[in-house]
Amino acid sequence: MSHGIKINKEACKGCVNCIKTCPTEAMRVIDGKVRIMEERCIGCGECLRSCRHRALSLKENDWDFLSSKRSLAVVVDPALCFQFPWRPYPDVLSQVLRNMGFDPIFKDAALAFDLTALAEARLLDGNSDKRGPMISTYCPAVVRLIQMKFQELIKNLSPVENPLEICIDLWRAKHVKHNVPAALVAPCPARVAMVEDPVGRDASSADYVISVTRMAREILTNSRSVEHLEDSARGSNSRWVRWASLGGETAHIKEFAEKPVRSLTVSGMRNVIDLFQELELGRLKGIDFIEARACNFGCIGGIANVESRFIAHQKLKMLASSAPTDEEKLLLDELYETGIWKLQEEIMPVEQAPLGMDLAKAMEKLEELHSVYAELPHLDCGTCGRPTCRVMAEDIVKGSGSIEDCIFRVRERIAELSEEIHVLSKKLIHTMTPEGENEDKRDM
Amino acid sequence: MSAREPLIVQREVKPLDFLAAGETASEFKELLKSLGIPTDICRRASIVTYEAEMNTVIHGGGGVMSLRLEDDAIIIVAEDQGPGIADLEKAMQEGYSTAPDFVREMGFGAGMGLPNIKKYSDKLEIDTRVGEGTTLRAYIFIKGQREE
Repeated sequence: MSHGIKINKEACKGCVNCIKTCPTEAMRVIDGKVRIMEERCIGCGECLRSCRHRALSLKENDWDFLSSKRSLAVVVDPALCFQFPWRPYPDVLSQVLRNMGFDPIFKDAALAFDLTALAEARLLDGNSDKRGPMISTYCPAVVRLIQMKFQELIKNLSPVENPLEICIDLWRAKHVKHNVPAALVAPCPARVAMVEDPVGRDASSADYVISVTRMAREILTNSRSVEHLEDSARGSNSRWVRWASLGGETAHIKEFAEKPVRSLTVSGMRNVIDLFQELELGRLKGIDFIEARACNFGCIGGIANVESRFIAHQKLKMLASSAPTDEEKLLLDELYETGIWKLQEEIMPVEQAPLGMDLAKAMEKLEELHSVYAELPHLDCGTCGRPTCRVMAEDIVKGSGSIEDCIFRVRERIAELSEEIHVLSKKLIHTMTPEGENEDKRDM
Repeated sequence: MSAREPLIVQREVKPLDFLAAGETASEFKELLKSLGIPTDICRRASIVTYEAEMNTVIHGGGGVMSLRLEDDAIIIVAEDQGPGIADLEKAMQEGYSTAPDFVREMGFGAGMGLPNIKKYSDKLEIDTRVGEGTTLRAYIFIKGQREE
């Protein structure tokens, strides 16, 4: 599984700050450098937030390579609209991108987000309480978290494709531009991973990835004046832009749903994990839809954004979106019937390898794990390159680590050894005279 | 009869510590997953653990939760030295609860604990003596998949 994170080995000091923030314990420091375990990483970006040495960044394509392409379609995560000094209406950004020589996929994006919201609304209208709440699949980190840690909730994931994929599909179908490559502008590693290794479909429709950071920088240096550009509610449909902020998807779904939707919105890894734990215990009742986002405030809180999430959140209030017109609704109905919004493949659990081949072996290993753990200091200091003593014990019984990786254990060993040396140094060979003893005595 | 089967893990339960209950449940779940137990069984074990621990927290005045393993079953054991259950038949009914008001105000004590444990386990043994305590043993069979 790809994780969308690039490690700059020169910059990495091996300081173990990042490995302790990882919610899935997917990071280790080995040979002085950080390493990410692909099979465990969900791309949430928490490690990027904690790195003070700028050793971690989004794995994006080279800007010069992309801008040298003859034609390149660009689809943007709604979060990009909030990065600039102008109001977050998509028309401005679309014009700016066009001026830079890109082919912006904006009309189809507006359509795709409408379609996703409509499809989710219809699913919710037909949902019964028994199935439990439907969980949004818009945040790829949340989807991966469920695949990895909350497999019992996979059946609750909405079987609807990500609108950022749908819009490229729509655009390609409409313009017969199969050979024009498309780049996605991503605010977080999970969106990068979505392109590199998508869940629920064979391959992503996007070919390249650009971080919001890079794209925003290029736009800000390239387009000094946007005053002549239209930035008002009169322009094209801006409902999709609201998805950048927590609650945007839910609000959009409610516009299409016929039955009332009892929704819960939650953001931030800690909150999302707690919520899913309670869901698995069956403690949450009477909820139809859960909008969960790995980042606080939603995608505007993604690590690769340039604008502060608080200001971005404020900007959302400048956005006045109109309800879909009858004409738009008709078109959406047609698209709904084509089924283009459906997730192509079933989402499968990502199983972690058990401790042993069979139950008896696994039990043996678990006992070993407990006894190794008992010998560790339980300080979770991270000096061994692992986030906790518990993970250290796990790594040891799985054969990737030794007890001497623990500096506390090594210190104890040194103390034991020096004690032994001390005792040894006091031992005498029988030809020598013990100190303080009288020679006369010996003669007797 | 408490210590026959191999122990996987044991946790002490403090009285009225509501927050810890979810933690034990997810710890037991992760442990079973690492043993390669199917996820559906892990989830049922997690629910049973949670409900049993809540009972120990609310009624039992704290106690000990343990996760044990037999050839074909996992066993969740909750032991306490609390007041015991006076009317077990009633306690097994949905909605029957003797939880104090302040517990109910916190959203717990809805009288679903024991019924839920029965629902999610395959075999349930409760040994209770008024004034002495309660030992609950919930079995979930690993083989012979069962539909809920």
